Amino acid sequence: MRYVKLPQENFEEFFNSLKRWGKLYAPVKKGDIYSFQNVETLSEITLDYTRTMLPPKKFFVRPKDEMLKLKEGHWEEANGTEPIVLFGVHSCDIHGLEILDKVYLSDPVDPYYKKRRENSIIIGISCMPDEYCFCKSLGTDFAMHGFDLFLHELPDGWLVRVGSVKGHEIAWGSEELFENVTEEDFHHFREFEEKRTNSFKRSLNKEGLADILDLAFDSPVWKKYERICLGCGNCNMVCPTCRCYEVCDLWINAYEAVRVRRYDSCFMETHGLVAGGHNFRPTRLDRFRHRYYCKNYFDPESGFNCVGCGRCDEFCPAKIEHVKVLDEVREGLQ
Amino acid sequence: MMLKLGVFELTGCGGCALNILFLYEKLFDLLEFYEIKEFHMASSFREHDALDVAVVTGSVSTQRDLNLLHYARNHSNYLIALGTCATHGNVQASVEGKIREKLEKVYGTKANPMRALDSTPIVQHVAVDYALPGCPYDKDEIYQVLISLAKGIEPPTKDYPVCVECKLNEYECVLVKKEIPCLGPITLGGCNAACIKSGVGCIGCRGPLPKEANPASEFEILKELGYDEEYIRRKFKTFARGELRW
Repeated sequence: MRYVKLPQENFEEFFNSLKRWGKLYAPVKKGDIYSFQNVETLSEITLDYTRTMLPPKKFFVRPKDEMLKLKEGHWEEANGTEPIVLFGVHSCDIHGLEILDKVYLSDPVDPYYKKRRENSIIIGISCMPDEYCFCKSLGTDFAMHGFDLFLHELPDGWLVRVGSVKGHEIAWGSEELFENVTEEDFHHFREFEEKRTNSFKRSLNKEGLADILDLAFDSPVWKKYERICLGCGNCNMVCPTCRCYEVCDLWINAYEAVRVRRYDSCFMETHGLVAGGHNFRPTRLDRFRHRYYCKNYFDPESGFNCVGCGRCDEFCPAKIEHVKVLDEVREGLQ
Repeated sequence: MMLKLGVFELTGCGGCALNILFLYEKLFDLLEFYEIKEFHMASSFREHDALDVAVVTGSVSTQRDLNLLHYARNHSNYLIALGTCATHGNVQASVEGKIREKLEKVYGTKANPMRALDSTPIVQHVAVDYALPGCPYDKDEIYQVLISLAKGIEPPTKDYPVCVECKLNEYECVLVKKEIPCLGPITLGGCNAACIKSGVGCIGCRGPLPKEANPASEFEILKELGYDEEYIRRKFKTFARGELRW
């Protein structure tokens, strides 16, 4: 991997140069939440944000996504894709996108997702954990791939890792803005990472989790939380790895319609409902437990479907904590 | 062949009938498939025979309401309960006490010349084919339902709370971030989270999410935030009478 340095005085020019590559999106503060929004100037964005409410998934699997248009009795593709640059993506969210890639880019490939992924540039940025983050225990606190450029904070600028051919082209295109990395920069980089590693307040104990979940299907802990859980689906909506969607047709006039897909949630009663009226998960208890199995175990070979971003905890009205639930399930077995 | 449509108004503010007219030019899309046989809010024209679709708004609050409801049910193939008055009873049904006592309290006499009844939702009196709550409902919802019916498609029902649409729109969560009492997690969605968009909490005007709401937990959450029990209890029953139990 190639490393270059972006001095602070060139940062704004570099930021502006990104607009050449596509419509620029970056984290913006909206009330008490952060959100990836289209931006024009550096002053609009918040570099030290914690997490956006909706993860960058929203650009590839859109919350509400028009797929097809019914016009004069024929279905037409509704999807325009434009090149975009996502600036300031955290490592956990880059890992989140890679989990989605496994789902949406394996056979059968989702054409909408694929087109948008190919037309996007991902610029990562380093971060400091807050009280919700537990990415370190899942190994998603550092991205080795899945980005074009990754910016690491230095006292006097940014250490930039180049992660793809496209990233190389971007750096090459603004060559005059970059410098070579010095030993001192590497020293600062390591210092930052060390400080960050020691700042995590929450961690998930992964040891033997698959076996524990195997044994804990009837654990009273699920029943305890089933009574607290509102079943509102907020945790699904904000999750960077939740990938279920619902497809519905909407009339736009007497003879024309659109086919729209939107995020679905496994907390909804009809999520497990199949033809014939059978429901795989008829109660909230089934659905609450299911989410934990899906995130941590569903298929042990595919690994975790959780990147430790902390969104489900931050946006749970009932203040249910992901790590705490799993710890309690573990304790319940001992 | 054109379908015959009737819109019936029982006791309510009239907003739900008016909301159909607020479809403005989109009303003409409906007229591609429907002949309106009765719609008091729109026209004095009335031609009473068998209807394909009857839309009933308002709650049963007088004997006249009940008679009209039975008429609509007996003369239609498909009956839609439209708006929270029709589906849950709304504010008038949440007033506790017997009708004679209420009359005496307000008018000083138990006489009941208008033949008023205790307000109840229409779903309590007749079988309905489709229930669309909301105070008022989103006008696009009735538009979708009526066009789907005209095309021979059984209109889908919503199965999710307000929170889902709130997040799809990326509105800041007022319950988590502002500690505003929001009933979004236990209220049926479909409104596109209109209240949260304006920064206020969901007041639960669409009634509880059928079967799935967890009011007990919502109650504890609001209590934790410092709201007193009586306040929460009243908030829960404003639109849905005693339906939210914990």
